[in-house]
Amino acid sequence: MRLRICLASCALFLGLAVMPAPSWGIIAVTDDVELEGFVKTQNIIRTPMFRDAEFIMQRNTAQLEGKYYFLRESQAFGRFSTGPLEEATLTLIGRGVYDSIYDIRHTYNEAFGKDQRLNRQFEYKLREAFVDMVLPPFTLRLGRQQVVWGETDNFRALDVINPLDLRWHANWEPWEDIRIPLWMARAIYDIGKLGPLEESFVEAVWIPWDFQPNKVAADPRRPWGFIGDGLARVANSAIVEDELFDLNLMVRDDKPSKKFKNGQAGVRFKAIWGGIDFSLNYFYGFSGDPGFKSRSARPDRRYPSCDPTQATNVTQGCLHAVLDRVHPRSHVVGIAANYSEEKYTQSVFRVETTFTTGVPVALDPTAAFTRLDPDGNLFDTADRSVVMLAIDRPTWIRPLNDIRTFFLSAQFFWRRYLDYSRLYRGIPSVLRARNSGGEVVPGRFVSKNRDKVDQNEFVITFSASTSYGPGGLWQPLFVFALDPLSTGAYNKFAMDYLWSNYFILRFEQNFFWRVRSHDPGPWGIGDLYGRPRDSRHESVVSAIFQF
Amino acid sequence: MKRRALAKSICFVFLVAVLGLGTSSTTVQAAGDQSYDTLRHWIEHSRPETDLTPGQHLTLEDRAILEPLIPQSAWEYYFYDGMDMEITETGTYPPPEDWGQNVPSGYQLDEQGVLVGFKGGGFPFPDIDEDDPQAAQKVIWNMMWRPGAEDYVMPMVGWSRSPNGQLDRQFEFTAVTSRYARGDHCLVPGYEEVKFKQLMEFRSPRDMAGAKMLTKTYVDHYKEDNGWMYMPAQRKPRRTLASERTSEVMGMDFIMEDFMGFGGKVYEHTWSYLGKRRLLATMDVETNPEAGGPHLWVPKNARWEVREAHVLLIDPKADDHPYSHKIVFVDTETFWTLWMFAFDRQDDLLLRMNQHFLKYSESFAHETATQSPYMKLDYSNNVGQRIFYHLGETDINAKKPHATYMHCYVMTRHFSSGRAKQVYSVRNMVSGRR
Repeated sequence: MRLRICLASCALFLGLAVMPAPSWGIIAVTDDVELEGFVKTQNIIRTPMFRDAEFIMQRNTAQLEGKYYFLRESQAFGRFSTGPLEEATLTLIGRGVYDSIYDIRHTYNEAFGKDQRLNRQFEYKLREAFVDMVLPPFTLRLGRQQVVWGETDNFRALDVINPLDLRWHANWEPWEDIRIPLWMARAIYDIGKLGPLEESFVEAVWIPWDFQPNKVAADPRRPWGFIGDGLARVANSAIVEDELFDLNLMVRDDKPSKKFKNGQAGVRFKAIWGGIDFSLNYFYGFSGDPGFKSRSARPDRRYPSCDPTQATNVTQGCLHAVLDRVHPRSHVVGIAANYSEEKYTQSVFRVETTFTTGVPVALDPTAAFTRLDPDGNLFDTADRSVVMLAIDRPTWIRPLNDIRTFFLSAQFFWRRYLDYSRLYRGIPSVLRARNSGGEVVPGRFVSKNRDKVDQNEFVITFSASTSYGPGGLWQPLFVFALDPLSTGAYNKFAMDYLWSNYFILRFEQNFFWRVRSHDPGPWGIGDLYGRPRDSRHESVVSAIFQF
Repeated sequence: MKRRALAKSICFVFLVAVLGLGTSSTTVQAAGDQSYDTLRHWIEHSRPETDLTPGQHLTLEDRAILEPLIPQSAWEYYFYDGMDMEITETGTYPPPEDWGQNVPSGYQLDEQGVLVGFKGGGFPFPDIDEDDPQAAQKVIWNMMWRPGAEDYVMPMVGWSRSPNGQLDRQFEFTAVTSRYARGDHCLVPGYEEVKFKQLMEFRSPRDMAGAKMLTKTYVDHYKEDNGWMYMPAQRKPRRTLASERTSEVMGMDFIMEDFMGFGGKVYEHTWSYLGKRRLLATMDVETNPEAGGPHLWVPKNARWEVREAHVLLIDPKADDHPYSHKIVFVDTETFWTLWMFAFDRQDDLLLRMNQHFLKYSESFAHETATQSPYMKLDYSNNVGQRIFYHLGETDINAKKPHATYMHCYVMTRHFSSGRAKQVYSVRNMVSGRR
């Protein structure tokens, strides 16, 4: 059965790749209906320490996008006059995914139950479905959609309206594909000239009920499991007063329900002043990242284990612990701007700065029932600011390319906790349990949060891209990201070959570096997936058939 | 140690690959005499000895007749087995009726040859004196303010081809543009500083579909354009740099500075007027000419007309500019660019050339052009405008060698003030087809 599915997928892909198609791009089904999309196979081999290769992903994606122009020039369906409503379109974007790695690899196949496996290997979703309406000077987009604000690339400051799905390849995928579209209304009112301001407009978004958190795979068996700085294991024990307990942890999801009172909304004003394109932004929502409130931790010594049927002679009983997963309310206020300096530097400068409240943080256990944590739940919210400075520059590097410029882009991203405490903690780690004598207890793992949050966090990124070949068919990309405090870095070397208008081959090599003994840093740029003994350098080969 | 060695090996291989790709493009050179000196010699000494007859079809056997009428740098591409040039009568093409009627006075060329104080409404310099030391600049200003340069919707298809006609990429994109500066008034009151605005959107291939570019060009030539680009993958607009004009665009075989022969800044170049020259041009073609020649780089079975052109020599001032010289042939009556040849700074050999296919609006009354493959256009809108439409061009990079052959399907479209304000706005760049 598995083999048949694999063969069918391959046959479908190869068939699409070689068959003659009626159009090079968007397919006009009728005068009013257009279709486009792609089929992609992405294969990732992880090469820990440049040694044993491990096949971790064979993801096949099919995306179909349709657009229906049902109202043009104030005529709906070619029949009904709609007065001031001049244009309207319906857009649908659906995606289906099959990751055959859960069938191909026996270790994965055996690691998960049938339902777990199906849940991880298949995804069918109507990702986006929205109606655009043009009612000058208003435009309105209603439906499930993505909205991106701000100037920052691939780091979150103002771009917080849609959550991210980081479960299948962390944030190393195009964010368009991993943003989780939300049901919302987006309205824009065009103002135009306003005193010294040009091109001004006001934009408002309202998400009436659809809150979704950022999605992270916490299961360490998954290739991109989010496991902090520790072992790729699940904590099954806890140490209380030097005694080892079996752990029965219950995490209660306390995320906002789908009610209007849990709505989110934002507004921004955008304009150009003296050549500076700027926006003033405000968003009232929930933190996409969760916080965990410790509700209770009750030792029970009636049985040596949480499962009375399992005999054990190493633990002293069961620790029943309850955590509430919460998403605090959050205000995000920010300014973004860009300026194209054409004379001296021939560069585009970008800047973005935000002030955010309601950032969930974990606390060190010593903070319990102190002024910092009067509830003793080891949870707090913080205020945080972000400053991002960036520069984009098309640059001639003639020894490397004498007909096309390189597009160079660099970012400096500084995040600061404004009400910082040295007791703030980041991502917990799973460690081997040790008894009171300091000896490792086989098969027992405990969770410990030793990740101290720094008040100031930095990331520097740099990317360079160009194209080679007569038609620009070879498109290399270099990316470098560095967290100077954790001394972790990420490098990407990628090459797209545009075989034809339909067919693209993509090769990527990702390296994750980190200085040994440094903490992972808030983004885990070089660490979470590139720890000294568990490096996750990876080679990616993708083939895309697009239409 | 092994790990370090492997990492070094990978880096080395990548670097070698990049360097190899970078240098390979310059090693292939087109054969034939395509030097700058040769073209200058052709301009100065080669004169047609035979008058062509309307209706006459010229083939490769008539090469001797054609050589004085086709710029020598282009011979390699335009003379081929099976070529067929239909000759038509040299026409006269009057401009719009009100053209030049409402041109406010008080404009001039400054010492750098930059037009100052001009607001449109007609040609700034309808009469060109060949002995005028600023004749070349005046011709190019007329070209840049010619009627028909804006106010249209233009779906386009471009074929990016290697030698022997191998199709590498096919592009589909649509441009919409409106001229704001109209002499005594502005299309959108309050935007008097704007010359024109253009919105361009890609439709194919899919990896570029939905990409939009908004360009705002100012009446003040010293003020750089403003540009924004919307990429669907980013779902937000990105500010672009206008002053870099010498890099090839989107994998096609032209640079922004070559747009319509000259799309750069006048003050960044030294200008010389080389006189007038008769030559053949696809001036009023019946429809978008199909691609021909051994590489499918040049128009086939097109209608050609003998035209008189101003010959301009444009030398970039910047030492790192890829061109040593550029020669542009601009029609003396209509001020549309007919041919352009740019020479490599390294060796003075041809680097890039383009040739343009035009159609006069009134010709749509008796012979309509090919319909756009993906957007229905009502060409009857074109009749009565008394302007030219750009039905396409070929852009050849002689050094690669490679070419982009373009078909444009053009329909006049006049926007109301309110509609123009809405379409050509940054607000329109915050979202796209996805």
